[in-house]
Amino acid sequence: MKHPNQAALALHAGGDLGWAARWRMARHMAKCPRCRGEVAAYRGLREIVPDLAGIPEVPWNRLAAEMKANIRLGLAAGECVRADGPPVRDSLWFARGRAVVALASAAALLVAGLILQRPTPKPFDDGTVVQATGNGIQVREGGQALGLLNAGAHNVTYSVGAQGSMGARYEDPETGLVTINNVYVE
Amino acid sequence: MLAGLIGAAGLAAQDVPLPGGSIDFTLPKDSPVALLNISTGESRATARGAALVLDLHMSMTLRNASAARIRGVTLRVVSQEVTLGGKGSVAYPSLNVGPGEAFPVRIDMQLMRPTQVASGPLVAVNLDGVLFQDLSFFGPDRLNSRRTMTAWEMEAQRDREYFRRILAQSGRNGLRQAMLESLDRQTALPELDVRVLRGGRAVSSAALAPEHTAKFAFLRFPDAPVEALDGWAQVAGNEASAPRVEVRNSSNRPVKYVELGWVLSDPSGRPYLAGSLPSADPALYLPPGATARVLQDTTLRFSSNGQPIAIQKITGFVSQVEFADGKIWVPSRQSLDDALLRRVVAPSSEEQRLSDLYRRKGLDALIAELKKF
Repeated sequence: MKHPNQAALALHAGGDLGWAARWRMARHMAKCPRCRGEVAAYRGLREIVPDLAGIPEVPWNRLAAEMKANIRLGLAAGECVRADGPPVRDSLWFARGRAVVALASAAALLVAGLILQRPTPKPFDDGTVVQATGNGIQVREGGQALGLLNAGAHNVTYSVGAQGSMGARYEDPETGLVTINNVYVE
Repeated sequence: MLAGLIGAAGLAAQDVPLPGGSIDFTLPKDSPVALLNISTGESRATARGAALVLDLHMSMTLRNASAARIRGVTLRVVSQEVTLGGKGSVAYPSLNVGPGEAFPVRIDMQLMRPTQVASGPLVAVNLDGVLFQDLSFFGPDRLNSRRTMTAWEMEAQRDREYFRRILAQSGRNGLRQAMLESLDRQTALPELDVRVLRGGRAVSSAALAPEHTAKFAFLRFPDAPVEALDGWAQVAGNEASAPRVEVRNSSNRPVKYVELGWVLSDPSGRPYLAGSLPSADPALYLPPGATARVLQDTTLRFSSNGQPIAIQKITGFVSQVEFADGKIWVPSRQSLDDALLRRVVAPSSEEQRLSDLYRRKGLDALIAELKKF
């Protein structure tokens, strides 16, 4: 026998099923004691839920009166233990301190503004550059570069072409061949 | 996907090996050199802040698949995604590779790029040219490798002949002395850091100095087919921009390319080789007796040991000429034996190779090498 799922049983217990579903459920329950028991259990649960959800009455007015009394008591105790003289916030030191803090804040704001908006010279865009590096030659443009290396070579002779080329001539220590690397700007 | 993997790996880990396929190496079907093997084993990617640094190391073995002796090979290195407009080349001059012989080559490169760059091979390496013993050439020549390697070979022939003559005239001691002098000269070359910027004058501390027009002085070689007439550059502090030189074809053959060397001196009179000034016009055609201007719209910023060099004087000399028929002229040893040039001009790649050979293997090995050619 195929039984309805728990959600359908719960809805039936609350009378929330549609007409056709309720009719089918009633037919099934007539011959299924297990589902009848489930529905009965859901109905029992529904009856006790309102009791669980209820909040006992809180005496708000009494609570508020007690809190006010405590605050007054605290203030009165503070007045008793404080030395004679004007309140701290009325003192000269307090006023000066407050001015110092305000000035420091303004200065910090000014410094931050200068740092963020500092007029720095715009870096010059060299465009495409050919140049010798520590271990070879390279053609570079912005953040991209193509380099030819002469790693491990001694006695490297560099040459420059005014049309935009750079050369490095050396004897390759591995192959023994004179090797001439060149990079060009097109 | 590849770049994504690399990017993710670079972000997640500081140092990871690169997957295969990062480097695309291609040779033409009819290439006179064949690839025997290639290794990229030590290539790595390293995340540095928001950038990804790729160290690419290629070790290859190439074989001469032609019937002629190879004197030079140039490989072109391009990264489309990195340094838009930038490219590189790796050339091997002074080769002496017979048909069927193999030779090792190596390329070490470094790419720096944003981590979010799209997919594709990181670097494409392909053949730009092969120069043979008879100065014939194969290759697409997109980097003017034909002219460059031919000039190197002309210098190599000149210098081998020079040292052979010393050996014949002055014997082993004379050759030894010449090698020692060459090594000394290479060691004494002043170091100059140069940054080349495309376009006009840049802004740097030294460039805040007032700009003025500096005229070139010229060294004249009696056998040069082209004569420098007048020249000037805008100079401000350690920057020289827009160099231009007026030249005249003093030979009886039309010329299609001229290159000048220029030497600058600081206020103390110390000279530095500033570089070369090639003619910018690829369609240059200079008939006998005609004049033209060699000019470049670049700015060069000079420093030495991290200190800007105040440019006091500029001296120029004709360093290379290509005739319309493809023949190349380079200065003779006698022309280069000038008091100023000896202090600043580096020896040729062949002289460097021969002197290194002498340093590593001694005089007998050098003499044996000179007899091979």
